[in-house]
Amino acid sequence: MKRNKLKNIDELRKLRKKLKEIYKPVKQWITVCSGTGCHAYGCEKVTEAFEKEIKAQNLQDKIGLRTTGCHGFCERGPIVVIQPEGIFYQRIQPKDAKEIILQTIINKKIIDRFLYIDPISGEKIISEGEVPFYKKQKRIIFGMNGLIDPTKIEDYIAIGGYEALGKVLSSMSQKQVINEIKKSGLRGRGGAGFLTGKKWEICSAAKNNPKYIICNCDEGDPGAYMDRSLLEGNPHLVIEGMIIGAYAIGASKGYIYVRAEYPLAVSNASIALEQAREYGLLGKNILGFDFDFDIEIAKGAGAFVSGEETALIAAIEGRPPEPRLRPPYPAESGLWDKPTNINNVETWANVPWIINKGSVWYSKIGTNGSKGTKIFSLVGKINNTGLVEVPMGITLREIIYEIGGGIIGGKEFKAVQTGGPSGGCIPKELLDLPIDFESLTKAGSMMGSGGMIVMDENTCMVDVARYFLDFLRKESCGKCTSCREGLQAMYEILVNICEGQGKPEDIELLKEIAEAVKVASLCGLGVTAPNPVLSTLHYFKDEYETHIYSKKCPAGVCKELIIYKINEEKCTGCMVCQRSCSVNAISGEKQQPHKIDQEKCIKCGSCFEVCRFDAVIIE
Amino acid sequence: MNEKKIIGSVLIVGGGIGGIQSALDLAEAGFKVYLLDSAPAIGGTMAALDKTFPTNDCAMCIMAPKLVECARHLNIEIITWADIESVQGGPGNFKVTLKQHPRYVDLDKCTGCGLCTVNCPVRNIPHFEQKTIPEPKLEKEDLEKITNILNKYRKDESSLVPILQEINEEFRYLPENILNYISIKLGISLSQIYNMATFYKAFSLKPRGKHLITVCLGTACHVRGAPRILEELKRILNIKEGETTEDKLFTLETVNCLGACALGPIVVVDNNYHGQMTIRKASKLIDRLKETER
Repeated sequence: MKRNKLKNIDELRKLRKKLKEIYKPVKQWITVCSGTGCHAYGCEKVTEAFEKEIKAQNLQDKIGLRTTGCHGFCERGPIVVIQPEGIFYQRIQPKDAKEIILQTIINKKIIDRFLYIDPISGEKIISEGEVPFYKKQKRIIFGMNGLIDPTKIEDYIAIGGYEALGKVLSSMSQKQVINEIKKSGLRGRGGAGFLTGKKWEICSAAKNNPKYIICNCDEGDPGAYMDRSLLEGNPHLVIEGMIIGAYAIGASKGYIYVRAEYPLAVSNASIALEQAREYGLLGKNILGFDFDFDIEIAKGAGAFVSGEETALIAAIEGRPPEPRLRPPYPAESGLWDKPTNINNVETWANVPWIINKGSVWYSKIGTNGSKGTKIFSLVGKINNTGLVEVPMGITLREIIYEIGGGIIGGKEFKAVQTGGPSGGCIPKELLDLPIDFESLTKAGSMMGSGGMIVMDENTCMVDVARYFLDFLRKESCGKCTSCREGLQAMYEILVNICEGQGKPEDIELLKEIAEAVKVASLCGLGVTAPNPVLSTLHYFKDEYETHIYSKKCPAGVCKELIIYKINEEKCTGCMVCQRSCSVNAISGEKQQPHKIDQEKCIKCGSCFEVCRFDAVIIE
Repeated sequence: MNEKKIIGSVLIVGGGIGGIQSALDLAEAGFKVYLLDSAPAIGGTMAALDKTFPTNDCAMCIMAPKLVECARHLNIEIITWADIESVQGGPGNFKVTLKQHPRYVDLDKCTGCGLCTVNCPVRNIPHFEQKTIPEPKLEKEDLEKITNILNKYRKDESSLVPILQEINEEFRYLPENILNYISIKLGISLSQIYNMATFYKAFSLKPRGKHLITVCLGTACHVRGAPRILEELKRILNIKEGETTEDKLFTLETVNCLGACALGPIVVVDNNYHGQMTIRKASKLIDRLKETER
């Protein structure tokens, strides 16, 4: 389809009408999720198989095939959903395509074995909306992901895309837009939770010109990937939000800063920008109005600290991404010393919704201080790993047990880590905590970008603290001595504790250094870096003490403090562990209990992994 | 010449940071120290630097206390603006003749107010001569590749990272001669290029092996046992993370998070994702790769 510049809003609406007509004869859509998770499972081959099969059956006119963005339920990929019925098939292989077309599409029969089985009730679930993982969610921002092909702007326009932009340009003044965002109560989704409308207002009031806006997709927090899924799965929603923001602020140029680890996000966003330009939604005189704006993509190269706003600005300018002192805030002096407004991907994606549905509608969702929905990435030792969008104020218990389906293997929940490496761990006593910006901060953690890493009884909290400090000390840019040296010192203490060399005074020392790092560092990374240590010390002091005094790791993680043993009563002598041992440390005859030679054992854990009788134990 | 009398004083030639530190240490140990420099003041090169390797600390912040200490130490006598004429004698008993250049300023009376420097009509004498690196000779093929990359971008600082990324992708690492070449072409100093190349994790300054094995160490992968997988890979390949095997077949790297947490722990081999890794699966994966190489 040839794309011509849209000269005014009527042309946009006419195009939408035309697109709806084009899509109408297609009675059924097979949508294949092609987010990164499903990609890794091999969804590309599944799509190819469907394509071939549709051709073979000569169904091109009746059946549509769509590769969509991430559906969020990455655990069960590759995911195939048949619309409009919403039939939800999971773990689909290329060879299944033929059967699905013949049975479900032609004969209207549901194929049982592809259905999702609710692990709690044991029931088979047909429709996507009925799957418990989705049922409890409120998918506003994320909902469109499963309906559109991110590489086709027409899909987005057909379901009402760019209508908010039209509304803003034709009937709202810059001030009105800012006021609407302010009234909605939208807060930045990047972590700090600053009021977005307020931020825009400051930037728009700045006298200097030109102004810039930046979309921050440098999602460095390990275990968080909602920004990537949004930019990959629905780039136009983000772009539309940015154009509206640019109009409100008076910016003429925008940047999307994407991490290097997200190649698919870069390519989908580039395609989206190109298509938006072809329709004249970016560039000179957008939709025929006296408003010019364009967006460029800047790629990161793997540095955690570059997600901090002043560091990100330095990175785009081509300087090493080191944070600088604020004030002046970027809103006054940012990119090339010009007023700059930086928002997170998710924040931008909220904007078109607020404009379309109004601030009153938006502010009804969520809690008093935190409005709207938030996307969390629920990962770790949880049954349903994936991205969940929930209204603010939902409790941790609802997320973990109702949406997440509980802990893998029915083990006991220990803690959930939120807010990325510089967030904190929340213990099971606080499972009923309603989640919003304030409550998480009060609990010693933070919202961050929305990573939620679930930990069970087999996770060692000292090891987790050590892991995060290792991450942070490597990612510290080294500008502030307190952060560079303090994190290193804390890391070394934690390594000692994990290796059984901990001393009783270590706990106090850790606290002391943590406070110093907190007070004396310049940017958010340093100020929040001690959080993982402080929160684990606060809630799990007993684990530290067991490591230090009894030289034992209760969770069985710290290598120096554990030994692998074989429980002779349970061992059936099946020889599997013996074969898997790479250092020949396991001896024993067939059908006789085996033994592990502690001298030879390198504690790699492979015997523990392969034993089907739970006969290998960690002490 | 053969006198055996040992005299407990020391002359340090050169008042740079090395000389200053030696002077302080010796003075503390009880020796009388003469600190000699041919420049009008001690301090040497470090005093002219902004930051120091490897910690990027401010150079003056390290030096300033030592300078003051040198001036105040009773055992240290600073002799500046002087050259050595001759050295006689042997260990323990040297005799050095110095030539003191005229300062035209009475040091006892000078308060260091700075007015004379402001009023001096002679200005802008460069202290350092910058060395220029000759343009490296590149292979024709490389030259073509690099010219293609450079032509795509504006020739300024903001293009540096994208250019490095393309080079890193094309050559699978950042070769030294190519960095020299782009430094000249872009007019960006080599130190700045290295600053960027070492700051970001995605860049490698060493050639990578044929197969790139990346272990995700994101939090989700960590709690699901990624460190044990990494340990096993390190053991099998007999290299550490960031290293390449001797036969140049495998390079082992780690990444902070790939954002595919449902598959954790993840190992990526040449852009193919292998999810739900176990120690067994990891070793089999390497066996298979080795098999195909045979």
